[in-house]
Amino acid sequence: MNDDRSLSVSSVSVPRANSKGQLAARESALEVTTERSQAGGNNWTPAIDARMARLEGPVRELIGSVPDPFADAAEITLLPDVHYPFHPSTGMVTDPAVVGAVAGYLGNETSADLVVAGSSTESMDLDRTTDYLGYPALEERFDCRLRDLSSDRDSRVTVSLSDSEAPVELSIPDLLLENPVVVVPTLRPTEAGPIAGAMRTLGRHVEPGVEGRGLSDDRRARAATNAVEPELSILDATTVFAGEAFAAETLFAGDPLGVDTAGTTLLGRDVNDDAVLSTELGPGQTSIQVSGCDFDALRDRVPSGDLPPRTTTHPAVSIAYGLYAKVSGDAVPPQLEVDR
Amino acid sequence: MRSFIRRRLSRSDSVRIGVLGVGNIGSVHLKSALAMPGVDVVAAADTVPKNRDRADSAGVTRVYDDYVTLLESETLDVAIVALPPFLHCDAVEVAAETGVDVFVEKPFARSTAEADEMLEAASEAGIRVGVDHTLRYQPDLTGLKGAYEDGTVGHVPHASMVRVNDGPLGRPPVEDAPPAWPLDPDATGGGSLMELGVHCFDYLEWTFGPLEIRDAMIDTTLEVPVEDAATVLMEARETGTAVTLHCGSYQWEELPEVNTNVRLEGITGTIESEEYLPTNFYGSAALSALSNVASRFTGGDPAVYGPTFYLQAHYDALFDFVDSIRADETPPVTGEDGRRTLELVETAYELADEDCAEADALEVVS
Repeated sequence: MNDDRSLSVSSVSVPRANSKGQLAARESALEVTTERSQAGGNNWTPAIDARMARLEGPVRELIGSVPDPFADAAEITLLPDVHYPFHPSTGMVTDPAVVGAVAGYLGNETSADLVVAGSSTESMDLDRTTDYLGYPALEERFDCRLRDLSSDRDSRVTVSLSDSEAPVELSIPDLLLENPVVVVPTLRPTEAGPIAGAMRTLGRHVEPGVEGRGLSDDRRARAATNAVEPELSILDATTVFAGEAFAAETLFAGDPLGVDTAGTTLLGRDVNDDAVLSTELGPGQTSIQVSGCDFDALRDRVPSGDLPPRTTTHPAVSIAYGLYAKVSGDAVPPQLEVDR
Repeated sequence: MRSFIRRRLSRSDSVRIGVLGVGNIGSVHLKSALAMPGVDVVAAADTVPKNRDRADSAGVTRVYDDYVTLLESETLDVAIVALPPFLHCDAVEVAAETGVDVFVEKPFARSTAEADEMLEAASEAGIRVGVDHTLRYQPDLTGLKGAYEDGTVGHVPHASMVRVNDGPLGRPPVEDAPPAWPLDPDATGGGSLMELGVHCFDYLEWTFGPLEIRDAMIDTTLEVPVEDAATVLMEARETGTAVTLHCGSYQWEELPEVNTNVRLEGITGTIESEEYLPTNFYGSAALSALSNVASRFTGGDPAVYGPTFYLQAHYDALFDFVDSIRADETPPVTGEDGRRTLELVETAYELADEDCAEADALEVVS
């Protein structure tokens, strides 16, 4: 039996500088180099229009000719990482400018209507998150609509996973089943450590189909990806977060497994330590071909850290402070209470 | 208006306190008051059940879900107003009707107009008003002010102050649902200038005397309804100092690191507030803890929140206020001081608006 597998991911670098020279040179600038000689040339640009303008060419090059499912679709669903309104310059969310550039390209190349979708969370309603991130401007400019999937678990779907005999039942929004889907995650880890990626981004929008039956985040991500089978995944690595932010200035495209595998490697993590990827890749060797950038050079530069620690005080510190307060007669600050 | 009889406190009387609002800062005030000698925390109020549970488990006897009912039901000397800013005016007016002195969390009000209403109500009722401007109690900032007053760097032509934190949205990982009101201009009166700038204005005027605002810029790093970054250029005429202030609610904060710094460019050199902080927070905290334990066994009183200087500043601010009430004196930071910070915020907003209008006009012309 031959277990060897090959994944293919394409990439494109995104020039941040405003100079005509750099934009003109983009054809030959598929390696990851950054021009830092100009004043302000590589700095974060707050204006979303300016960022989108620089992304238009790279996105066109990355997607290339539009696949059939997009050309024939009445509606296309874009699924960025909009889990919380962290600033896009941190890499903790997909840059709305990337979503805008993808929407602009698909809007031009197809007759499909565009939906940008996300899900409200316990922490934040989606409309608040998208408002703060500036999505209403995209909605107006590209005539797309924003849709909260958290209340749209319309269809029950049964999915088989390779490592278990029992099928997994999911409740899935129809917008993910009926439309071609483009997942646009940012390159960052989850709090638990592995890549947030395309598969886990998909997993956040589905629920177990049987009420009360638990489904781990990892199995949910795998099941969601198998059920939705997104047509395209675009990994936004214009800014990466992994303990610190880094302007990697690169976009990757491929299937979810491919971009997540490439992203995991860039984040300095072992694919075998990721329960989602290692199970989906299965035994044997997997080679990944990344075209369009000097992947090894990029991997050397991308940080490999984790999210910051929680602000909640470690229980041991709270217990120690409580003991100290008892002995000294001092008050325990609310932030250090054990049951907080 | 209800009639009331003000109690004249003697040095030995316990000051009866009610805490209105037991959220983040309210719970710090509650714990401070509970630890304060000569203080009896009579009651607390909060609309949020979790906060009421917190007050209950801290040992407060009567906990209300409504601050008006608390004020009307309890016999108090002092009410700590730690409610969101849009409730400050109402709470102070109800406290005035019941003859209760107030210690109000910053910002004192959402505008000078609202502050005037509060001060008028307080004046008519004869109650005292204090405001929680704690930078006056932080060791790094009092240390810097002391060094300046000692003439350490001579004349200071330029001073700069920076206060930046992560605001209501916080940093990753996401832990709690952030409340909506801190980003609602109707609820707060503004953004970073209202949240952080008022503290800075209070400290800078306390240090340099009256400030005149020359220019201001405000900005938002996200599409939020209030500014989350502000830069203000000021002149302190008495000391001949140009002062710049930057405050923002956009930077991820990892406690115990706090991004507050004041830097004085003097003739003989430069000093900054960071120099007056313990170099090793945890080492200093441990020393403070040991000192408190020792004082317990030698009959001394512990320094409340000893190992955490920034919380200690809140305790000290409340302690001084309560002390002034007991001594029948003017509070150390008055309602007028709180109003003055709002006046500076409003001037900064006006100048920033003028700059925006000029820039828009230039764009149209070009």
